Amino acid sequence: MLTYVLSRIKSSIVVLFVVSVITFFVLMIIPGNPAQLILGTDATAEMVADLTESMGLNKPLYQQYLGWLLDLLKLDMGTSYVYGEEVTRLIIRSIPVTISISIFAMAIAVFIAFIFGTIAAIKKNSIIDYFSRSIMQLGVAIPSFWIGMVFIVYFGMKLRIFPVSGYVPINENFLNSLKSIILPSVVLAIGELGTLLRIVRSSMLDSLKQDYMDMAKVKGLSAGKIYIKYALRGALTAPLTIIGMQFAKLAGGTVVVETIFALPGLGRLVLTAVEHRDIILLQGLVMFITASVIFITLIVDILIMFINPRIKSFQQGEL
Amino acid sequence: MKKLKKIIILFIVTILISACQQEDTPIATDIKTDLTMGYTTEPEGLDPHRTAAASTFAVTNNIYDTLVGVKSNWEIEPRLAEEWVISDDGMEITFSLRDDVYFHNGRKMVSKDVEYSFNRLKDAESPRARDYENIVKIEILNDYEIKFTTANLDVDLLQSFAYPWAAVVPEEAESNLKTQPVGTGAFTLKEWLPQQHLILEKNENYYGNEINLTTVKLILIPDATSMMAGFQVGDLDIIPLTGDQVTMVEGNENYQVLSEPMNAVQIMSLNTNNQYLSNEKVRQAMAMAINKDEVIEASMFGYGAKIGSHLPPTSPDYYDANNIIEYNPDKAKELLEEAGYKDGFTIDMSLPKNYQLHVDAGQVIADQLSRIGIDVNIQIVEWGTWLSEVYGAKNFDSTVVGHTGRLDSYAFLSRYRSDSQDYISLTSGEIDQLLENAIKELDENKRKEIYKEIQIILANKLPAIYLQTPHTMFALQKDVGGMEIFPIDIYDFKEVYFIE
Repeated sequence: MLTYVLSRIKSSIVVLFVVSVITFFVLMIIPGNPAQLILGTDATAEMVADLTESMGLNKPLYQQYLGWLLDLLKLDMGTSYVYGEEVTRLIIRSIPVTISISIFAMAIAVFIAFIFGTIAAIKKNSIIDYFSRSIMQLGVAIPSFWIGMVFIVYFGMKLRIFPVSGYVPINENFLNSLKSIILPSVVLAIGELGTLLRIVRSSMLDSLKQDYMDMAKVKGLSAGKIYIKYALRGALTAPLTIIGMQFAKLAGGTVVVETIFALPGLGRLVLTAVEHRDIILLQGLVMFITASVIFITLIVDILIMFINPRIKSFQQGEL
Repeated sequence: MKKLKKIIILFIVTILISACQQEDTPIATDIKTDLTMGYTTEPEGLDPHRTAAASTFAVTNNIYDTLVGVKSNWEIEPRLAEEWVISDDGMEITFSLRDDVYFHNGRKMVSKDVEYSFNRLKDAESPRARDYENIVKIEILNDYEIKFTTANLDVDLLQSFAYPWAAVVPEEAESNLKTQPVGTGAFTLKEWLPQQHLILEKNENYYGNEINLTTVKLILIPDATSMMAGFQVGDLDIIPLTGDQVTMVEGNENYQVLSEPMNAVQIMSLNTNNQYLSNEKVRQAMAMAINKDEVIEASMFGYGAKIGSHLPPTSPDYYDANNIIEYNPDKAKELLEEAGYKDGFTIDMSLPKNYQLHVDAGQVIADQLSRIGIDVNIQIVEWGTWLSEVYGAKNFDSTVVGHTGRLDSYAFLSRYRSDSQDYISLTSGEIDQLLENAIKELDENKRKEIYKEIQIILANKLPAIYLQTPHTMFALQKDVGGMEIFPIDIYDFKEVYFIE
């Protein structure tokens, strides 16, 4: 058990290192000289060369990389060019926004997906099943920028029960903060719902076909117990993995939704960094997002091990 | 399960209560003094000497002051300098500074600060250093008098002191100006939360007239539709307006629309080293094949003014060159045949992705050129790539882009000098001498004549095809007054006020 976790952590560190190399070199070779971008359309070649030098961009790449890596190990990601602020501070400020809408969105998606997915599987080809299959299609098909706009126009402008855009920090005003993240969370939830619902339904169908289900029925257990304790538990592995992946995706920033609702999250920060060629900020963000994805996957894997006895025994058998 | 149910019910009730809650409407008898304005692009720090970004200057113009300012009608007005004297030979300018100006940190501003600021503007880290290399000597005469000496005669010298990057900053605050700006301007920075908002607060010790607003809150909303939604529900007092949105606010008595031609030109730059584009007749044929009205309709929804040369209609030196080469696709075909390209040819066109108006214009132009047999391969590239590939490396056939924001015609036109090494230039050198004369001509009318001549040459030779001067547009709530559009990319909030 512990060995498994340890080996997973070890491999995570290797992945992080590889990512750091790739991130650094890819960002360095993409076209677009940061010095040229800062100087704009009035600069001479000489001025670009001067600034390139003063920014340290003319040193050999490996030297730049080593310097950057050493700072990174000290959790110093440098200072953003655009904002003139430390990258770490910028990231820390964006996290609450992104995490709160991600958690909220996933909560909504998980809640609906499990209720409808389970019922749809149990009552296959019933009205509920058809209904949830339509939701699956819609969830995947509706573009989030469109549904976002519809929400803004209807709930923000017409009914005026939610703000049209912007973010209120949770420590400023709890209710307003909640209001400011509800619409974006629902939009995100709709996007993730389709996939999740499909996975829940199919794993549940699969689980219902297992021998132990017949066993449970034969034993004369109540329907609720059969479905929740036996079928659902057996059907959790795949959805959990998907939830982990979806959450990791959302936590890495949701550019479209953050842009439409003017939320100061990680996705927008990435976009700003790309647009302004703020390489230092971008490198820091990519590293941070990769680390979070790796961390979330690790947590999910450990969680699955606890929930699904088959995997646990498999692991223990291996020890 | 029961517990979960309770939590869910509680949650839904909370939301419903919060949704039904009425916003407190303050019983406002006084006139509003807090302005909110939407903006789309984050400033690149708030240090005026360390960036070339227009988004920075729009804001910093309110925090810092320059020696002179520019009015919306292009007139130069006193700002930190009460008056100025230009020597007879035009090589020296002496400013008399106001003696009642204080920095936001409480220290009095004197001529030493002006000297320091211009040296900082001219140093290696400053993107605008090149513009000021003609100033070779800065002399402090006394605490409130300072003299600048130039190496070569530049008749537009005064204008160069009006740009927002020529701001005066205190040396002691120098290292943190990017995030903690200290100036002498009408507003101080209260708070800048990246990606959220930037709040300016009235400077109580401002030397000028009483300022009407207490605070100005600039809210970053990157999406134009969300911006409009915020404006229509009344969260925002002023927003920048895009062409397609004008119909949503025009004719509504609750809103005002402010629309002025920008001090900018949108051009289709041509690489005259390209085997086809080096031929003048080909360039003229292309210009004839392009219907500029259609381009303006597609890129600015009609809010643009057609141009025939490289100066905007707002410029005092503008000459209307529109009828030198007029839209005529039939004649364009003939001319192309005459040039030896009866069957046409293929060229590339790089379009900067971040500027939708250039991308839209480029696509219309590509379609129009295909009608005379010229196939255009469109490549949409990021701004960073555009700058290094097209502008820096001159590795392009054609592109559509804007050139903006200068107060003197020389700055607009000097890139056409054969020795400018710019991405577009008139390598044949016809206008080199004319430009040389223009910048040394002290007689304004004679200068205008020279610029007219240059504009006509450009309209015929076409190192670029001149498309339009797009409009800058704002939507304002009906109770907002005093907002103006300037020939340089700045906002000026000190004159803005609310009507009862």
